[in-house]
Amino acid sequence: MAQVNPSAPGGEIIVEAADLCKTYGGIRAVDGVSFTIERGEVFGILGPNGAGKTSTVEILEGMRLPDSGTARISGIDVVENPRAVKSIIGIQLQSTTFFDRLSLSEILQVFASIYHRLVDPLELLAQVELQDRAKSVFKDLSGGQKQRFSVATTLVNDPLVLFLDEPTTGLDPQARRHMWDLIKEFKSQGRTVLLTTHYMEEAEELCDRVAIMNQGRIVALNSPDELISELLSGGFHKERAEKAANLEDVFLELTGHALRDA
Amino acid sequence: MTGFFNLRTNTTWVLTLASLKMWYRDRQAIFWTFFLPLVLMVIFGVLNFGDFGAVDLGVVDHARNSASRSLVSSLEDAEAVDLFHQSGTGDAGIGILEREQLALEDGERDLVVVIPPNFGETGGPVIVDVLFDVSQAREAQIGQTVIRQILDEMTFASNNVPNRFGITARPVFNRDLRFIDFLMPGLVAMSIMQMGLFSVAFSFVQLKNRGILRRLLATPVHPASFLFGQVVTRLSVSILQTLVLIAIAVFLFDVKIAGNMASILLLALIGGGVFVSLGFAISGWARNEEVAAPIANVIALPMMFLSGVFFPRTAMPDVLVSITDFLPLTYLIDALRNVAIDGEALWSQGWSILGLGVWLIITFVVSVRLFKWE
Repeated sequence: MAQVNPSAPGGEIIVEAADLCKTYGGIRAVDGVSFTIERGEVFGILGPNGAGKTSTVEILEGMRLPDSGTARISGIDVVENPRAVKSIIGIQLQSTTFFDRLSLSEILQVFASIYHRLVDPLELLAQVELQDRAKSVFKDLSGGQKQRFSVATTLVNDPLVLFLDEPTTGLDPQARRHMWDLIKEFKSQGRTVLLTTHYMEEAEELCDRVAIMNQGRIVALNSPDELISELLSGGFHKERAEKAANLEDVFLELTGHALRDA
Repeated sequence: MTGFFNLRTNTTWVLTLASLKMWYRDRQAIFWTFFLPLVLMVIFGVLNFGDFGAVDLGVVDHARNSASRSLVSSLEDAEAVDLFHQSGTGDAGIGILEREQLALEDGERDLVVVIPPNFGETGGPVIVDVLFDVSQAREAQIGQTVIRQILDEMTFASNNVPNRFGITARPVFNRDLRFIDFLMPGLVAMSIMQMGLFSVAFSFVQLKNRGILRRLLATPVHPASFLFGQVVTRLSVSILQTLVLIAIAVFLFDVKIAGNMASILLLALIGGGVFVSLGFAISGWARNEEVAAPIANVIALPMMFLSGVFFPRTAMPDVLVSITDFLPLTYLIDALRNVAIDGEALWSQGWSILGLGVWLIITFVVSVRLFKWE
């Protein structure tokens, strides 16, 4: 059985969830969830659909009230002061659209004004490699570009914690690798990232620690390496031996790593 | 990090500016807000629909005897004239002199027949006064001919010593109101209603449905900042609509604005507020655009025809007039017409403004109750 160890390895704690519960129509979507995230960590929440990932994240973001339990971001209670929390974090929603008749630059300026900031839209767009589309409108972007732009809008306030909800769902392998590079870049800048995903290889590639959720509860919480070691030490072995490469590697070898959304 | 007073980092200012930009870039919205009312104005103005039809005749009966009644009923039967019914006088078709005179001056009558107290009595000659609108020469001519004919018939029909009837025709100068003068304030009010209802209901249902409001909810923005920008945009548009429509009416159709422009714009603002807030109520209630459209239409279409945009409400049955008295569009049209065309002062429109105020409160409360971010 995998070990659940809710506290961070020891460093400045920036996200704290303690015994969060949320019930929808008799179903306990979030059932006593506790964990902490340390500054600079990339923390993943994994789980099948309906496991309670999004509800947990939305409580932490101040988008939804828990029935019980406490959540703090950088020491600020999310229930008591959601607006203060929202002003120091960046939230990328699972599926978002933006205003139709504003260019990408203009949208970034609008979002920056919400935080009383001035930003250089081109610099932000360059971070997500969209500097060529500054004058485009959102609906003309490809799927990967939309996702990257959505991430760019979360950067306008130089957030302490970035919440990314399934940032690579629906993207082609090139665009997904590109998003991975972006997240690694955030980590190297010292940002804290909380992401949810369905893709195990994504969590393995990016996350310092992952929490695996099932039916509203955290059933395992550790670094991907540790979780795998624990499983193997329990006597698990695969029916079919892994090859040193998989089909995605073949695909990327044949089609290249370059983005296809220009 | 910059301060509150720097406009480029002031949330409300930037959101308002963005909202104005978005509106300006929406070609379809511009078409519906400006060109549709303009097209209507040009069509009605050029064709001058208000001028066709029979001669509008008012009657003031000072005699109230069998002879005068028979004259009135003959006038009622005459096909060339429309005996005007003035509400509130008790007797159908019979008016009070002062009111009928005013109606004549306002262009609502072409002629007014004044039956003297001694009508039908034998003896000295009976003089029937006919007041006519000098600007309506043709109608005045037809009307006088009809009246003379009826009086002649009455003379021959009596077996006694023939009554002798005379007609004194007296010209009255009306203020030269044409259909376009009547129509213009109606169209201004109608376009303010359309803009408020449709542009707000549609764009908010869209923002809600497509998750844009939810994305804003993920920021620390105060809802009031965002809503303020949206409302300011719509109110600016209603001012702009009023100015454009009035300018076209003045320059193209020579409509004379008798009232004070600031009062007119103030009325446009209040009216805009009522319909914008009604639009928010619809957007809060409707799940998507397919639902918002019929709701907005169900509210807007009947009001367009019942509030006197295209014809005076006096042409409707009394019951309908008293009901439609309370419609928000009626208040707006009546006040705009009285101020813009009749040159009345804003404070004399207290009743209409009070009516609009009550509607503003009702629609605001309803929209706040129904509003949802997602």
